[in-house]
Amino acid sequence: MQSNNGFYGQFGGSYIPEILFASQQQILRAFEEAKQDPSFLAELNQQWQEFSGRPTPLTFCANLTEYFGGARIYLKREDLNHSGAHKMNNVIGQGLLVKRMGKKRVIAETGAGQHGIATALVAARLGLECTIYMGAKDIERQYPNVFWMKQLGAEVVPVTTGAQTLRDALDEALRDWSSSHEESHYLIGTSCGCAPFPEMVAFFQSVIGNEVREQSVAQFGKFPDRLYACVGGGSNACGLFLPFVNDKEVAMVGVEAGGKGLALGEHSIRLSHNLGAPGIAQGFATMFLQDDHGQLQETHSIAAGLDYVGVSPIIAHLAETKRIEMTYAMDQDVVNACTLLLKKEGIIPALESSHALAGAFKDAAKLGKDQHIVINLSGRGDKDIFNVAKAVEDDTFPAFLQSYLASYPIREQGE
Amino acid sequence: MSSLAQFTQQKLQHKSILAMTHVVYGYPTVDESLAWMTRLLEEGVDFIEVQFPFSDPVADGPSIVAACHQALGQELNVDTCLTQLGALAKNFPESRIVLMSYLNPMYRFGLKKLAKRAAEENICGLILPDLPIEAAQEYRQACHDKGIDPIWLVTPATPKERLAMLAKQAEGFLYCVARSGVTGQSCHQNKTPNTELDSYLAEIKQHTNTPLGVGFGLRNKGQIDALLGKAEIAILGSALLDAYNQGGQDAGIKLIKSLFD
Ligand SMILES: Cc1ncc(COP(=O)(O)O)c(C=O)c1O
Repeated sequence: MQSNNGFYGQFGGSYIPEILFASQQQILRAFEEAKQDPSFLAELNQQWQEFSGRPTPLTFCANLTEYFGGARIYLKREDLNHSGAHKMNNVIGQGLLVKRMGKKRVIAETGAGQHGIATALVAARLGLECTIYMGAKDIERQYPNVFWMKQLGAEVVPVTTGAQTLRDALDEALRDWSSSHEESHYLIGTSCGCAPFPEMVAFFQSVIGNEVREQSVAQFGKFPDRLYACVGGGSNACGLFLPFVNDKEVAMVGVEAGGKGLALGEHSIRLSHNLGAPGIAQGFATMFLQDDHGQLQETHSIAAGLDYVGVSPIIAHLAETKRIEMTYAMDQDVVNACTLLLKKEGIIPALESSHALAGAFKDAAKLGKDQHIVINLSGRGDKDIFNVAKAVEDDTFPAFLQSYLASYPIREQGE
Repeated sequence: MSSLAQFTQQKLQHKSILAMTHVVYGYPTVDESLAWMTRLLEEGVDFIEVQFPFSDPVADGPSIVAACHQALGQELNVDTCLTQLGALAKNFPESRIVLMSYLNPMYRFGLKKLAKRAAEENICGLILPDLPIEAAQEYRQACHDKGIDPIWLVTPATPKERLAMLAKQAEGFLYCVARSGVTGQSCHQNKTPNTELDSYLAEIKQHTNTPLGVGFGLRNKGQIDALLGKAEIAILGSALLDAYNQGGQDAGIKLIKSLFD
C-alpha cells in the first residue's frame, strides 16, 4: 500500500532524532530505486526461491475442516521458510538493499528471536557484520534462538532496561543506529518504525499474499473469503492482507495477543476494544498501549513475537477505516489452538501463529461450508518447545531437562 | 531577537560561555529533583534544561535512560511539573529554564496547551528531539503565539543544506549535538567517528546569529575551553548526572565549578 508521504491516514510518518535524518533519507531513496529496478527484483526472487524455499505451499486442512464442520480451512505455510518464519522474506529484501547502499553492518531487534535468526542467517550469507538487540527477558524465553544467532556469528546484546522485552530492544537498536549510521543499517523486523520502514517491510512481505492470490485460484477457483493473521508489529498480516486490500469480497481478520487478561500490562491489544491510544514514539505515529500521561506501558503475551507496545501504522489505518477486523486470542486459547493443529494436521505452529489459528477456529464452525478461509501460519513452533511443554503441563519434560543438565559438562568459569 | 537570545547576549558580556545544566524531573524523586534545581539556580547556573521523563528516550544514553526509568516509578504529571518549574523561574530571574521531553507525553498533554502553560510559567524554550521541523507546523505556530522558543537540533550528520535551513530557522538558541550518537557515555560510543567540532560550528555560524548551545558528551575542562568563542552555551547532561549519582549535589556543583570557573 502506497503511503501519503509516509503517512497512512493519521498514522506513520518519520519522527526520529535529527542525527538519523540523513540515513533515513538514504534508505528512502535506495528503496524507491530498488523496488523499480528489475535486476534488484530478480535477485530478490532468486534469493527467496533458492535460499528460503519459496513459494511456500497453501495447505488444505481436511481434518480440521471436518472437525469444525464449517468453512474449508487452508494454511499459508510461512513456517516452511528457511529459519522457520515469514521474517526471512523481509530480511532477504533489506539485506540486498544494505549491499546496494554499500553498508557493511546490520543492527536488528528481536522479540521471539525469529527476526534475529533470520537476520543472522542473511548477514552470514551476505558477509555483513551483525548485532542483535534482545530483551533480557526474551533471551530467557527463547534461548535456543539466541544460541543459533551466536553460532551464526552475530553479536547478541541483552537489553536490561525497562521491561526487558521487544520494545526496549527496539529503543536500544535505535540508539546503536544513531551512533553508527554511517556504516550500519537498522534492519527492522516488522512493519513499524519511521518511513519508509513500514512500507518497505510490507512490500517485502507482500510475497505472502501475492502467492495466496495465485494459489487460491489454482486450488479452489477463487480468492479466499476470509484471511487470518496474527498481529504483533504487523508484518505477516501486512504481507497476507495488502495484496487483497482492494478485493472487497475478501474479509480480513487480525488477531492480537489477549495474554492473561484485559488489564493494562497483561496483554498486547492495541487495536481491538479501543485499548490503545494514538501516540508518537519509536519513530512513528500509531496506536500505542500507554497511560493517560503518554508513557508507554508494559505488555504481555505467551508469544514473545507479539509482545509489542505499538503496531504497524498500515494495520492501524486499515483497522481505523474498518477494512480489517481486529480481534484477540487469550494465552490459553492459543495453547489450545496450537495443540489442536498438532493433533489434527501434524503441523507444529509457532505460538505467534497460533493466535491466528485461535481467531479462525472461533469462526470456523459458524461459517458456511462453501466458505474458504486462509490462515497465515507465520512460523513453526520448534522454538516454543519449552513454553509449550510448560503450558500443556507435560511432566516428562522437566525430568528430561534435569537428566540432560546432569550429563552436561559444566566448565569452570573463564575457561 | 527572542528574549532567550537576548538573555544570552546580555549574560555573555560578563562571561565567556554560559552553562546549561540538565536535570531529570522526578529523579530520584520529584522533591529531590526540585531541590537540585534550586541549588543549581542558587549557584547561578545560566540555564537549566529540565527533562520530563518518557518511557522510551531513544536519543539518550544509559545514565539518563536509567534516571528517566527510575523517575517514572512515580506518576509524573506535565501540568504539575510546569507549575513547579514556574515557581522556580519566578524566584530566580537571573537564570532561564527550558523544558525538554520526547514527543509522546507532550503530544498527549497537547502541544498547544504546552506552549500556553510554558508561557504562563516563564519557561522560555522547549526541546523535543524526536519532532522533526517538517512535522512541526502546528507546534511552531503555538510557540510563536505564546512567545516561546522551539529549540531545534543539528548534528554532525546533518547534511549541509539542511544545516543551513535549520540554522536559519533557529530561535532562542540552536542545539548543536557535538557527536554522532546518544547522550552521555554509552556502549555505542566507540562506534562514533570523531567530529571536527570546530569546522562544524564555524559552518553553522555562517548561517545564523542565534546563540549556539553545544551538548552531548561534554565532561572535561578541555572540551569546554575548546568551545570558547565558537559557541555561546555549553550543555552539561550525563556528566553532571553521573557526578550527582556518585556524590550528590555537592559533587555536581564541584564539577560545574571545575568546568566553568
Ligand atoms: C512466527 C512469528 N509470527 C509472527 C510474529 C509477529 O510479527 P509480525 O506481527 O510483524 O508478523 C513473529 C515475531 O517475532 C514471529 O516470530
